Amino acid sequence: MFLTFTVLGLVLGAVYAIAASGLVLTYNTSGIFNFAHGAQAMIGAFTFYQLQVVWGVPTLLAVAIVLGILGPLMGYLLHRFIMGGLRDTAEVTKIVVTVAILLGFVSLSHWVWSPQDARMVRMFFGADSYVSIGGVVIRYHEIICLVAAAGIAIGLRLLFTKSRMGVVMRGAVDDPDLLRLNGHDPERVAAIAWAMGSTLAVLAGILITPVGGGALEANALTLLVIDAFAAALFGRLRSIPRTFVGAVVLGMASTYLVAYAPSNWTWVTNLRDALPMILLFVVLLVLPQDRLRGAAVRTRERYEVPTVRRAAIWGVVLVVATVAFRQLIDDSSVGTLILGLTFAIIALSLTLLTGYAGELNLAPISFGAIATLVAFHTGITGQGLDARMSLTGLVLGVLAAAITGALVALPALRLRGLYLALATLAFGGIVSSMVLRETQPRSWFGHEFALFPQGTIIVWPLKVGPLDLGDQDVFLYTTATIFAVLGVGVIALRNSGYGRRLAAMKDSPAAAVMLGQRLVRLKLSVFMISTAIAGLGGILMSMALSSVTSDHFVYTLSLSLVMLTVVGGIGYVSGALFGGLIAGAGFSLIVGTFNELGSAHPEHASTFSIISHLILVAVALVGVGVAHNPSGNMSSIFAGHRFLAGAPEVRYAAIGVTVVLYGLAYAGVIGTWTFGILVAVLWMALPALGLWLRAERLLPPEALAARRGVPLELVGVDVPYPDGFGGQLDRTLGLPARARRATPTIPAQAQAPSEEGESHVRV
Amino acid sequence: MTLTQPHDAVRPRRSEEPVLELVGVRAAYGAIEVLKGVDLSVPAGTVCALLGPNGGGKTTTMRVASGLMPTTAGEVRYSGRNVTGITAGEAARLGVCSIPEGRGVFANLTVRENLWVATGTGTSLAEIEEAAYTRFPKLGERRHQLAGSMSGGEQQMLALSRALGTDPAVLLLDELSMGLAPMIVSSMYDIVGALAAEGISILVAEQFARVVLPIADTAALMLGGRIVQVGDPAEIEDELSTTYLGG
Repeated sequence: MFLTFTVLGLVLGAVYAIAASGLVLTYNTSGIFNFAHGAQAMIGAFTFYQLQVVWGVPTLLAVAIVLGILGPLMGYLLHRFIMGGLRDTAEVTKIVVTVAILLGFVSLSHWVWSPQDARMVRMFFGADSYVSIGGVVIRYHEIICLVAAAGIAIGLRLLFTKSRMGVVMRGAVDDPDLLRLNGHDPERVAAIAWAMGSTLAVLAGILITPVGGGALEANALTLLVIDAFAAALFGRLRSIPRTFVGAVVLGMASTYLVAYAPSNWTWVTNLRDALPMILLFVVLLVLPQDRLRGAAVRTRERYEVPTVRRAAIWGVVLVVATVAFRQLIDDSSVGTLILGLTFAIIALSLTLLTGYAGELNLAPISFGAIATLVAFHTGITGQGLDARMSLTGLVLGVLAAAITGALVALPALRLRGLYLALATLAFGGIVSSMVLRETQPRSWFGHEFALFPQGTIIVWPLKVGPLDLGDQDVFLYTTATIFAVLGVGVIALRNSGYGRRLAAMKDSPAAAVMLGQRLVRLKLSVFMISTAIAGLGGILMSMALSSVTSDHFVYTLSLSLVMLTVVGGIGYVSGALFGGLIAGAGFSLIVGTFNELGSAHPEHASTFSIISHLILVAVALVGVGVAHNPSGNMSSIFAGHRFLAGAPEVRYAAIGVTVVLYGLAYAGVIGTWTFGILVAVLWMALPALGLWLRAERLLPPEALAARRGVPLELVGVDVPYPDGFGGQLDRTLGLPARARRATPTIPAQAQAPSEEGESHVRV
Repeated sequence: MTLTQPHDAVRPRRSEEPVLELVGVRAAYGAIEVLKGVDLSVPAGTVCALLGPNGGGKTTTMRVASGLMPTTAGEVRYSGRNVTGITAGEAARLGVCSIPEGRGVFANLTVRENLWVATGTGTSLAEIEEAAYTRFPKLGERRHQLAGSMSGGEQQMLALSRALGTDPAVLLLDELSMGLAPMIVSSMYDIVGALAAEGISILVAEQFARVVLPIADTAALMLGGRIVQVGDPAEIEDELSTTYLGG
């Protein structure tokens, strides 16, 4: 018996090891921790299923296609179009881009392979082909897993120590420029590493499902990244041999747990699901502290901090706009808007934590779940439809979120940002697979109750004195006010001494320490404030939903919220508003609208369905945008509007137009959608519009002259010869390009000399 | 537009063309222009010292010359050929060996692995190891030690080994003396002098002029993104001590 379980554990460990080694490979060559690693495995497994089972391609050929073409190609394309552009960005940007790819891949698989159908994958050679050694049955498939893992372990070891390519790969993350000076191409090196990492993910993906014995399941496969990460952490994300040890420990622990746990421990299955996360916490606790790097972290993200006065004005504007917008929408949409605002409050916790302090939390909604549960158990008063949440419940819930935040953050605070991010993700996993599955009553501290009764709880609205959130409008205005007040509060915090300490910690931890800051205390306090805000937002979200199930707290929701907040601009309160509204209201609105359109026009139903799916899959492309503009949308919008300061009349005119449009919408002349789109377009396009109408007030004189353009014959007479004028003249006159000019003012031509023409240089 | 220069047009000019030449080069970090029209040439087989105080643009000039940094205007020429826009990898394979500011080593690789990476320009590992360990026996003793765990002087030896073993045509040295004890600095420059004697053309940027002037054939003084004076090292030294560096 023991031997059988040992073999099973080894096999599971072998697959984890394959996945983890791919993760370590890409992390060490490009510095990007690939959260989409599991999603790549998932895509590989589903494609393999499609080829082998659905289309009947011979197994060997299917394996060859998946491992030889799909894996490398996926990795190469990801690097070429997305990851390659992520150098010199902050950790959060890198994480968010891979998260976007994860979400896009999951949507893609849900679209192509409907999650309702069960897909059973067979083992290689079937489950009946086995050898029996000393009474232990080992299937061929399991042997393949073990052999593949051993082969990969040896292969990677040889690659990294005995081949120049491997050594160059290890150098790539330290100093890409130095690699260039040595005649290598770091981009090519990274592309190869991504292709290899992706292939390893795909291999793990097609091996793992038959081992576990279940059906193909997109979410479970996607979460393989957490198992892989827990294993990789044994090797501090660097050492491949230790990663293999970690993977085997993980595999063994999970089989032994199921085999030998006492039968009256009903929560063992849940514990087993949460095992990688728990192991991850344990490893984080024993990891030695990181050395602080002396150099300041230079990244491309830039955030401006507004003054408190300005923030307060905008807070009032937000509340007024919410009240005005309420008049345009029907009662059924109010709930969606409330949900969006509650998400925005959760996102606000990220502005403080990530935008100001540079720390990460990938599971803000899970802290909201904890707060909701505590508030539910302590705060509900009254019976039936009159039941309400009390202020005590709300406060206790928020406190619980803050305390949980401290507990989660403590082991990771000594380490770099990435570890904290993964600790929070693991926490999200534990909440989902253990806490929210406590649907049956059991004894807690002498009281008999279920944490999450029947898997659905009703969270009644808050009632404090005369304020009763049972009324939708009151709820909406209250939520908007809470967001505005918290937003101003967060900005006030950033402008205080405490906020400057946070900024110092973010920019240069080493310098902050030398100035006498206590980083751990600072990180812990900001993490607690942040999770408290997330808890408050979570309780409000649950009230807005009223009936809450575990689906409302899944990790993908947290991830898409984080992602959209980064897209909006995580250093801005307005970025949080953007991210929250899109995550909480935007997606459901889009999908809902297309569904309605589909049912209204059945003949186009499939087209609408494709469009709504395409929008969800296109989320992956958000990564491309973030790589180009890591400071977020709001940052570019603000930059555009700051430029308009020279011509305030443009903005007054825009306000006037907005009011007129509002009047038209209020009177019912134009629809709410039209109003929303027109206003958004107007304000986004305002800088360009202003430039067109008021160029002479906005541009400096030289730029104006350049815009007017000088006639060619007057160059040199009216204005000095600009650089590159000769080339311009040639182009205008249609002359053939000249090879080399003696004057230094000719534009330089990018030209790599060919090998044979370099007799002078190469001695 | 491609550069269509017949190869035979290059060859007759072999002796008169400088091996490395910058003509009217401008370069910028974002909106901040750092090089404002740099003209500099390193004749074949000579040592050119690039001198000047901090912030003058020396390091940027080196980065442009090695292909790490794009220019916004002007030309970079190797042996008379316009190579503006060349990548650092291509430049390295053409025989331009650049040792950047700080320590040009990979801290997380061993000494031997560092030398292995240096073979990207076409030499064999055995050759470069031989060259390095002969010149610096200490590196031979530490061949399996991580480069980052060695002393600053040893790291700089390792960085210089790349120049020794790969037989470059041009050597670009940026602040070789940074953070090193004076004795080690002078032994480093002894090696640079020996390399120069072998006929390698060298451009060396240095804040502390004294150590480099004895081996330099020409010196250029750089201030505010421009070369303000080029000439005999002794001349430039007088200029330096009287005006810019205050002795």
